[in-house]
Amino acid sequence: MLTRKELIRYGLAAAVLAPWGRALGGAASRFLQADTDPADTGAGGPLHAGEIVLGVSAAFSGPSRGLGTELYRGASAYFSRVNENGGINGRRIVLKMYDDGYQPDPCVENTMKLMLEDQVFLLFGYVGTPTVTRVLPLLKKFQDENIFMFFPFTGAQPQRQPPYGDFAFNLRASYAQETAGLVNNFVGIGKERIAVFYQADAYGRSGWAGVRAALAPHGLRIAGEATYSRGAPYTGTMRRQVEILKAAEPDAVVCIGAYAACAAFARDAVDLGLEVPIANLSFVGSENMLKLLTEGREDSEAYTRLLVNSQVVPSYEDLSLPSVREYRDLMARYDPQVPPELVKEEYAPFPHSFGSLEGFLNAKLLAEILRRLDGEVDRARLEEAVFSVRDFDLGVGEAVSFGPDRRQGLQTVYYTVVEDGRFVALEDWQAKFA
Amino acid sequence: MKIEKLFRRTRFGIFAIFGVIVFSTSALCVYTVNTQLSAEYEINSRNIAKTVADSSVDILLNRDMATLQSLVDQFIEIQGIRYIYITSETGEYLAHTFVPGIPEAILESDHRSTEPVEREIPGMGYFVEVGSPILAGVAGTVHVGMDLDVVALKIQRAIGQQIYLVAGILVFGVLAAIWLVNLAARPLGELLAYAVDLARDEDEGAVSDREILARDDEAGHLARLFLYVARNGPKPESLKAAPLA
Repeated sequence: MLTRKELIRYGLAAAVLAPWGRALGGAASRFLQADTDPADTGAGGPLHAGEIVLGVSAAFSGPSRGLGTELYRGASAYFSRVNENGGINGRRIVLKMYDDGYQPDPCVENTMKLMLEDQVFLLFGYVGTPTVTRVLPLLKKFQDENIFMFFPFTGAQPQRQPPYGDFAFNLRASYAQETAGLVNNFVGIGKERIAVFYQADAYGRSGWAGVRAALAPHGLRIAGEATYSRGAPYTGTMRRQVEILKAAEPDAVVCIGAYAACAAFARDAVDLGLEVPIANLSFVGSENMLKLLTEGREDSEAYTRLLVNSQVVPSYEDLSLPSVREYRDLMARYDPQVPPELVKEEYAPFPHSFGSLEGFLNAKLLAEILRRLDGEVDRARLEEAVFSVRDFDLGVGEAVSFGPDRRQGLQTVYYTVVEDGRFVALEDWQAKFA
Repeated sequence: MKIEKLFRRTRFGIFAIFGVIVFSTSALCVYTVNTQLSAEYEINSRNIAKTVADSSVDILLNRDMATLQSLVDQFIEIQGIRYIYITSETGEYLAHTFVPGIPEAILESDHRSTEPVEREIPGMGYFVEVGSPILAGVAGTVHVGMDLDVVALKIQRAIGQQIYLVAGILVFGVLAAIWLVNLAARPLGELLAYAVDLARDEDEGAVSDREILARDDEAGHLARLFLYVARNGPKPESLKAAPLA
């Protein structure tokens, strides 16, 4: 028989421990369920009947919100049509989305939520190197759950090589390929002193490493370097960075950054007389950069004439490509918008952009992979489905193949320059920059 | 009647003693906090540099600069660390946290050195930098810069708190001392006033019925002695050695 004192003591202890017990018990049961019943490891579970839920953490706020927004719009356009036509093997594609503002810590938290609480089938459409590189160890930690990351919007190496390469699939060409292309073309027209302006984080370092590696076979080294802090706005100054690079007397500058900072750098470079070609990688968000440099300016040509941006998808103006025609058609038909709960700051999307075309192609290829699961929505079969993609015609003029040693679908890098207020293909480097 | 002059030195003495206490404890506090914090920061820097160095080996060998930078960026979030840079064995800067560029003071330093060094970087502040070799130095060196301004700020805070405490004690102690001195001086004042009255040859009732005559302390004894002397005149020589009370 318990005494009155003991009853009070045990009662208090139970009241204090109950919520923890529920939480711990819930987490444990989720893991046990996932461990013991392969059919419940993802979208096949009771929470997601009739759906395939894809987890997204991307930048929908902050100075780089245009990147996440454009990528989402393109993907959403394709998935809207898939769902309208009955989904994939009867299942609707649903995007479970969180905003990370292009910051690593929120991205890690979002990913934990997506994996453990939302029980998404896979991760899709992540934006950025600093974010993705911090998430990759999570995928390794939960490797028994077979959670894969599909087509992140980054060309960095960590998700392309050991020890994390096995947990991600890439569609776009890498930064190493982009920077190598830029460097080789510059060196080819005699511009050997190449400086680097880069974001002080994993993304910037990835591009810096690409430039460094591309210069090495030519017997060259980076002529000068300057950095900026992630999240720098267009309204901020980049004069100090320009002065540092100007002192290095470069023939060309390769920028590895996001559109706000790179546009600020291009603006200040022109203002301070650094009249050399300024190259940007695909991640920059070309349309947003162009908008910042041209909006409200009468002399905008002065700020854009020496820009050269590498792209990892073909031009959305190239109507000879079936996927471009399809993309333009679906963007016009659905005009997808970011869900209102994720919109914290105003953003006017572009009817067409390289970012949304990339999102569209990502979605198109993922849908094809999901179809190859033949209705058996099981994470353990995903890798096999991806590896079955061989010489697949994505409609961009380049066949896509995957395999155990090939986890990147596309290899082509395109180069664009600004003409008449828009980015067009660069045909002749010599004529443009020599 | 108030006693002023007699305790002036006592009050000055109290102030002087408290002043010495304040300055000596503050100096000791500065020395202790500075020594211990500096030592702790240096140990922390060294540990962090070693952790980064140990974690960097595989990453460096894989030539994965993005992950290397990501690793460095995670450590820079620790309070007090202002910069980290990793140099290769040839002195190339493979990863760093400087914006907008690597400072001249760093570029001119010995990239292989792992000894603690204090340096001023214009526009950034004062730092103590320690290094740790990667793979015994054959793969490079990690350098961690701890912000000495943070140490100075902590010292300022510690001294500020110390001074607030001692100043509080000083104010309380001085007020208490003044009160105690006044308490001790009050019978003396009464005695002085009584002696003055006696000297003015006040009438019998006014001088023989005073509270001070009833006191059982030195002031009471003196008052009774003054009254005796006033009434009887000085004692004969033969009684001068006898006790007064």
